[in-house]
Amino acid sequence: MINVKNVKKSYGAMNEILKGISFTIDEGDFVVILGASGSGKSTLLHVVSGIEVPDSGEIYYDESNIALFSDRELTQFRKENIGFVFQQYYLLPHMNVDKNVKMGADLVGNQDYRKMIEAIGLKAKMNLYPSELSGGEQQRVSIARALAKKPRVLFLDEPTGALDEQTGRQVLDYISKLQKQYGFTIIMVTHNENIAQMAHTIIKINSGQISHISTNAMMKTAFEIGW
Amino acid sequence: MKDVMKLVGIMIISFCAVFVCHLFLNYYMDLIVLKDDILMGGMMIFYEAQLSTAKLISFISGGCLILTSVIMLFFYIKHYIDIHRKELGILKALGYSRLKIASHFWRFGFSVLIGCLLGYGGSFWLMPTFYATQNQDKILPDMTIHFHFLLFIFLVVLPTVLFSLLAIVYSYYKLRGSSLTLLKEAPITKAQSKKYNNNKDIPFLTELRQSTVKSKKTLAFFVIFAAFCFSSMTQMAMKMNELASEMMGVMMMVIGIILASTTLFLAITTVINGHLKTISMMRLTGYSQKECAKALLGGYRPMAYLGFVLGTIYQYGLIQMMLLVVFKDVAGIPQYHFDFVAMFISLFSFIVIYEIVMYVYSQKIKSLSIKAIMLE
Repeated sequence: MINVKNVKKSYGAMNEILKGISFTIDEGDFVVILGASGSGKSTLLHVVSGIEVPDSGEIYYDESNIALFSDRELTQFRKENIGFVFQQYYLLPHMNVDKNVKMGADLVGNQDYRKMIEAIGLKAKMNLYPSELSGGEQQRVSIARALAKKPRVLFLDEPTGALDEQTGRQVLDYISKLQKQYGFTIIMVTHNENIAQMAHTIIKINSGQISHISTNAMMKTAFEIGW
Repeated sequence: MKDVMKLVGIMIISFCAVFVCHLFLNYYMDLIVLKDDILMGGMMIFYEAQLSTAKLISFISGGCLILTSVIMLFFYIKHYIDIHRKELGILKALGYSRLKIASHFWRFGFSVLIGCLLGYGGSFWLMPTFYATQNQDKILPDMTIHFHFLLFIFLVVLPTVLFSLLAIVYSYYKLRGSSLTLLKEAPITKAQSKKYNNNKDIPFLTELRQSTVKSKKTLAFFVIFAAFCFSSMTQMAMKMNELASEMMGVMMMVIGIILASTTLFLAITTVINGHLKTISMMRLTGYSQKECAKALLGGYRPMAYLGFVLGTIYQYGLIQMMLLVVFKDVAGIPQYHFDFVAMFISLFSFIVIYEIVMYVYSQKIKSLSIKAIMLE
């Protein structure tokens, strides 16, 4: 489904972040991109998700090479295919939970978006504002917002980075359960090797290059992994 | 100092206020000296009318502009504290007192000083032409331009000191509360949540458009003010050929356009800068540049046209008042009727300029780097 071929990305002449990355991801897979800080994993996520354009290489979603897309085409592509969850949540502070999730839902005309709020266990807090929620709750709202637009691929950039262990496990558990229910593909960036045990495919990246790709038949749940 | 340079809005408004006030007040004070030389009845009426005009224009223009500068100063300080709340919270946590931190806000008065000095100097430069135009029919005796030290104190020194003090007092008030309050993101209060409403049945983009306007009422005021300035000053300027002089017309037109564009620029830039993360998240999610621009800036369009209507009414009322009260005994003053042609020219120009500004900002949204904003 996603076929990344020899992708390169630099910031300035001397700062090559991605040095020819290639891999393939199947529909419905749970992929973790693992790497230390500065390894290029977040840049890889930005490029594969269409936030940024690579300097060279190809990124195929089925038959379409998004590396050649214009800004307008990329916006349309993200609208139809991609959901994002970030470490910092980026919720709209003047909108309550319901409206924050509606932001994603309205894009695809999803009228049943409140089911998603229910699924993440925040039905009772639908009218609260982000500043009235805990970090874990805010992250769950951002997951609901991403999934309310029914994406084919959910990109997560260190989603538990700002959370404590217990909350982090809960958030990962929600993500994993929702994937089983809706069948979307997950691409998660993390530096935490324990979280990688939840994934089916693990892509290790080091200094802008893939050092190892492995598959994990015994995927663990969020409450079975170490922390 | 870098932040103080952003106070260009206050600087320009101070410049305009002092420029107009000094021009007319200096003229007023030089006219008073002539009082004993004015003997004839016709000359006396013209003289009195000149005095009244100078007083009226100084008070109305000066008053409006000073009020706007004060609102703008408060807005800038609040905005500064909002975007630097973490740094200010750290300073407080380290042990700096509220007064100590607030005392540094005197620098906000610096922009007023620059604006006032430029306005004061600029009006002196224009004064010979202005005096000659005001007395072009030679009804009054020849006038000499005098330097009035009192005006310098009242128009340059005093505003600078007062604005600096105001900045200290207001920032002192805004910095109340613990350092933790500043370090944390400001929570939404119950009153605010009522204000934002978050009606469940309206679409997200409509909701965003409404909450953007509601969350920054000062900016709505600035948009209204910008349109008000443009509408009133340009329409008055077009009538000045008949009622006063071509020079007054040009002066009004220039001041109107400068004030309007500065205020509009300030308001729209603040809206965009205050919503960078929202824009970024929307673009990321798949909302187009047009949808973002419409949601964030579209809510201000009705305000702009309201400002235009208010400006039109204001200029008509002001000219009528001047003709009925100030010039009632002066012979040869033409009758003033509402000028629809001037209004349509002004409205057309306003629509063109406003929509160009909106288009430019819409393009700015397009050029924002999503990644750069997310990494901030």
